[in-house]
Amino acid sequence: MDEIRPEPIEQIRRRYEGEWLLIKVTSHDESGLPKEGILLGHFPDRKAAWDATEVIDGEVYVLFAGPTIPEGWEAVLHGWVSL
Amino acid sequence: MDGFRFDLNAPHIVVPVRITGMQRMRWVNWILDTGSTSMVIDELVALRLGYNLESAPTVSVTTVSGTSQASIIAARQIFALGMRVEEFPVLVMPLPEQLRSDGLLGLDFLRRRNLFCNFEKGILLTLPFVRNFLHRCQLVTHLFSAL
Repeated sequence: MDEIRPEPIEQIRRRYEGEWLLIKVTSHDESGLPKEGILLGHFPDRKAAWDATEVIDGEVYVLFAGPTIPEGWEAVLHGWVSL
Repeated sequence: MDGFRFDLNAPHIVVPVRITGMQRMRWVNWILDTGSTSMVIDELVALRLGYNLESAPTVSVTTVSGTSQASIIAARQIFALGMRVEEFPVLVMPLPEQLRSDGLLGLDFLRRRNLFCNFEKGILLTLPFVRNFLHRCQLVTHLFSAL
């Protein structure tokens, strides 16, 4: 069986543009951020990706490969909290 | 001390965050949001980190579109932008599917350091508060070299 080699996370992102990714982190950069990893799965939506994390332990990166909002959309996020 | 590089063409400044919950630790991408007073995590993500939301306390939240209630949980640890906090309160809200991020990095986290943003080069830098004159000189050196 072929060994799965870690690859740069940016490379994985480019390959699966528009999908949610689950990546096992294998190395970090000098700032401590994920640098390389092994793709565990790619999913069409957030729920499917997070449901898949239920059976995975260890250092896993869950991310969307693409912009934070669809093209043509605008986002207004801010909120205030009252205790 | 290097700055964090963000995508100049992206609609938001997206920051990798390592969050440790009740049962698991995960890396996620959160949106930097200085308009949010608190950190926010998506409801599903909080559940997958092992939190029981039924027993969590709630708070009132005001947004531009109205008011609502949100559960509040304590993240065991959060690491982002070179800062690490323990037992940090995070609001739990269902984020819309169209928002492809699992949370918001709010002011309660960001205000623990000075935040410098270079929109020309896409660099974000956090520096500790100034302790004395010598420290200020050191920080200014870091600031100019990073930005």
